[in-house]
Amino acid sequence: MEISEQKVVAVIMVGGPTKGTRFRPLSFNTPKPLFPLAGQPMVHHPISACKRISNLAQIFLIGFFEEREFTLYVSSISNELKIPVRYLKEDKPRGSAGGLYYFRNIIMEDNPSHIFLLNCDVCCSFPLTNMLEAHKRYGGMGTVSAETANQFGELVADPITKELLHYTEKPETFVSDLINCGLYIFTPDIFTAIQEVSTHREDQANLRHLSTFEALQSPTRAFPLDFVRLDQDILSPFAGKKQLYTYETMDFWEQIKTPGMSLKCSGLYLSQFRFTSPDLLAGGDGTRSALIVGDVYVHPSAKVHPTAKIGPNVSISANVRVGAGARLINCIVLDDVEVQENAVVINSIVGWKSSIGKWSRVQADGDYNAKLGITILGEAVMVEDEVVVINSIVLPNKTLNLSVQDEIIL
Amino acid sequence: MKALILVGGFGTRLRPLTLSVPKPLVEFANKPMILHQIEALKAVGVTEVILAINYQPEVVLNFLKEFEAKLGITISCSQEKEPLGTAGPLALARDKLIDGSGEPFFVLNSDVICEYPFKEMFEFHKGHGGEASIMVTKVDEPSKYGVVVMEETTGKVDKFVEKPKLFVGNKINAGIYLLNPSVLNRIELKPTSIEKEIFPKIAAEEKLYAMVLPGFWMDIGQPRDYIEGLRLYLDALRKKSSTKLATGPHIVGNVLVHESAKIGEGCLIGPDVAIGPGCVVEAGVRLSRCTVMRGVRIKQHTCISSSIIGWHSTVGQWARVENMTILGEDVHVCDEIYSNGGVILPHKEIKSSILKPEIVM
Repeated sequence: MEISEQKVVAVIMVGGPTKGTRFRPLSFNTPKPLFPLAGQPMVHHPISACKRISNLAQIFLIGFFEEREFTLYVSSISNELKIPVRYLKEDKPRGSAGGLYYFRNIIMEDNPSHIFLLNCDVCCSFPLTNMLEAHKRYGGMGTVSAETANQFGELVADPITKELLHYTEKPETFVSDLINCGLYIFTPDIFTAIQEVSTHREDQANLRHLSTFEALQSPTRAFPLDFVRLDQDILSPFAGKKQLYTYETMDFWEQIKTPGMSLKCSGLYLSQFRFTSPDLLAGGDGTRSALIVGDVYVHPSAKVHPTAKIGPNVSISANVRVGAGARLINCIVLDDVEVQENAVVINSIVGWKSSIGKWSRVQADGDYNAKLGITILGEAVMVEDEVVVINSIVLPNKTLNLSVQDEIIL
Repeated sequence: MKALILVGGFGTRLRPLTLSVPKPLVEFANKPMILHQIEALKAVGVTEVILAINYQPEVVLNFLKEFEAKLGITISCSQEKEPLGTAGPLALARDKLIDGSGEPFFVLNSDVICEYPFKEMFEFHKGHGGEASIMVTKVDEPSKYGVVVMEETTGKVDKFVEKPKLFVGNKINAGIYLLNPSVLNRIELKPTSIEKEIFPKIAAEEKLYAMVLPGFWMDIGQPRDYIEGLRLYLDALRKKSSTKLATGPHIVGNVLVHESAKIGEGCLIGPDVAIGPGCVVEAGVRLSRCTVMRGVRIKQHTCISSSIIGWHSTVGQWARVENMTILGEDVHVCDEIYSNGGVILPHKEIKSSILKPEIVM
C-alpha cells in the first residue's frame, strides 16, 4: 500500500455540560466548545488545523453534550470545509481513552493509518503535519505533544530518541519541565492497548475478591471496568517501553479553562491571523469606519460607529452595535450586544444580548488567572448609563443600576 | 372570580436555587411557592388564576397541569414580551380578567407568604364600596419600604410615601390587592408602576382602601427572608395546632418533615426546619432554621443552621454548614467541611472549607 494513500482521521474531545463549571457564567447558555475565540467557535480552531493535514478523511467530535447542541454547527462546518465532521455523544463517562475505544468502529471506518486526538480546550498553533512526520519517524504506537513550561511538567522524554520515558499526572514535586499539550497521534494499536487495560483491570478486580483489605486499598476501585483514562491508564504504564514518543513544540500554548483564559486565547488567535489570514482582521482609520488599533475581529453584520476606537485585541460578534465615541480594549463582545455612546469596555467579556449604557465603564485589571481578573457579563445583562463595573462577574439577566467592584452578582 | 399572580422574571434574588427551577416552583415549607397562593385562592372561590410570567411559562404551566385537575381551577399564563412593571401586566391580561360579571379580581405578588385572608378582604372590599382594596402589613422599619398612609378607622388611603425619612406610618404594601374591573381602564399597556402611578390616582379620588393584614407576612424572594418566612409560617401552623408539624423526642420547636423522609438515631431537628420528600438525615445530625429540599442526604454528625440545602445535594459527615449557606441543586459538601455563608452554584463539589461568605461558581 502506498504511504500517500493512507488516510488519517481526527478526534476532538469536547467534554460535556456538568464538567466545566469553571467556564461559568458563559457556559450557562452555550457549550464551551462553541464559545467564540477571535470570532470563531473554540472548536473551530483545532478543526481548521486538522483540515490542513493531507489525506484527512473525517473529523469526529466526542463529548457529553446533547446532540442537538452541535447539529447546526457540525453541518455548517462540514459544508464549509468540505469534509465530514461528526458529533458522537458518549452515553456514560468512560474516560478520555474509554470514549475513544467505545467509538472505535466508527473511527476506523475509513481504515485510517493514524488517528489524531485533540482536546478542544487547547489553544496553540496545532503543528499537526510536522507532528505526524515525527510520529512516522519514531515508529511507535503514539506520540504526545509536549512543551517546556514553568509549571510542574508531567512528561520525561529522552533528549535524543524523544521516547516518552515517564509520565505522572499532576505532580506535586518537580519531575520535569515538559508539560502535556493535549495533542496526540496514535496508530490503531491504541485500541488494543486500551482493551488490555480494561481486561487487566477486570482480572485485578476478580483477584481482589479474595481480600477486602486490598480492595479498600485499590486506587482504581472507584472506576468501572470500561472507564479508561488516557493519561493515568495509557501514558503512564506504556511510558519507557519504546511505544510512546514526544513531539516538542515551541509555539504558544494555553489551556482554555476559564472565561479569563478565553479572552487571552482569543488574543493569541487574533495575532496569529495577522500571519495566516490577515483579511479576517478589521482595519479602519476613524474616517469612514472606526479607528482600529492592533488585532481586531469585527463580524460583517456588526455596526461600529466611525467615532468609536476599537482595539487592541477585540473580537466583536454578530449584530453588535457600537455607538459613537465608544472605546473597546482587550475584550470579547458577543452577539446582539449594544454598546452605547461614549461607553468604555476594557479587559472584559460582554455576554449575548447585553447592553452597555452611555458613559458607563466596564473594566478589569486584566489578570487572566485571577478569579475576578476579567470582568464577565453573562447573557442579557443591562449596565445602565454612567454605571461603573470593575473586576466583577455578573450572572445572566441582571440589571446594574449601581456601580460595583470586586463582586460576583448572582 | 379571578386572580392574577405577578410572577415576573428570572428570580435572580433566589439564585442559585432559581438556576435550576423557575421561582414559582421552588418549594417553601415543602410545597411550591405558587401552590400556597393558588390553594388559598381556590378556597375563597376563585375559578381562574392567570400567571403574569416572563420566564419559562411552559415549565410552570406543565407542572401546574396536574393541580388544575386536582383543585378544579383553571390556570393560564400571560407572557410579557417586554418588562411591563407592576401594573402593565394587568393591562396585558385584561381580556382574561374581565368576564362581564363585574366581580372584582385579586392581584398577588408571587413572593408573598401570609395567611391569605382573602374572604375577609372580600368582605372588607364590599363593605367600603370603593374601587380598590390593598392589603397592608405593619413593619418595624417602615423607612426601608413604601409606606401607605391611611385613616386608621376606615382604612381609606391618603397617599403613598416611598422610603420616608420621617415617620409617616408603619404600614407597607403587602402585595395583595382586590380590584374592581374599572381599575383596568386606568392602566395602559406600557411599563407602569401600580404604587407610583395607579394607586395614588385612585387614592386621590378617595376610592382606595387598605386592610391591615392579620397574622404574619413575608416577601420570600431572597434567601434571608425565605428562612425567616419559614419561621413565621411554621409558627402560624403551631397556633392553629396543625397536625402537619412533626413530633417526637428528636424534634424541637416547629418542624415539618415529609412523610417519605428518613431521620436517623440521635438527631436533634428544629426549630424552624422543613425537610422535603425522599431526604435521608443520618444519625447524630443537628438541624435548625433550615430548609432541606427533595432528595438531599445529610450524613452523620453534621450540624446545619440558617441555611438552604438544594435538591439532591449531599452534606458529608461532621460538616458544619451555617450562616446563610445556600447550596444549589446537586452540590456535594465533603466530610468535615465548614461552610460559613457559602453560596454554591449547582453541580459543584466542595472540598475545602469556606470561612467567610463567598459565592462558589
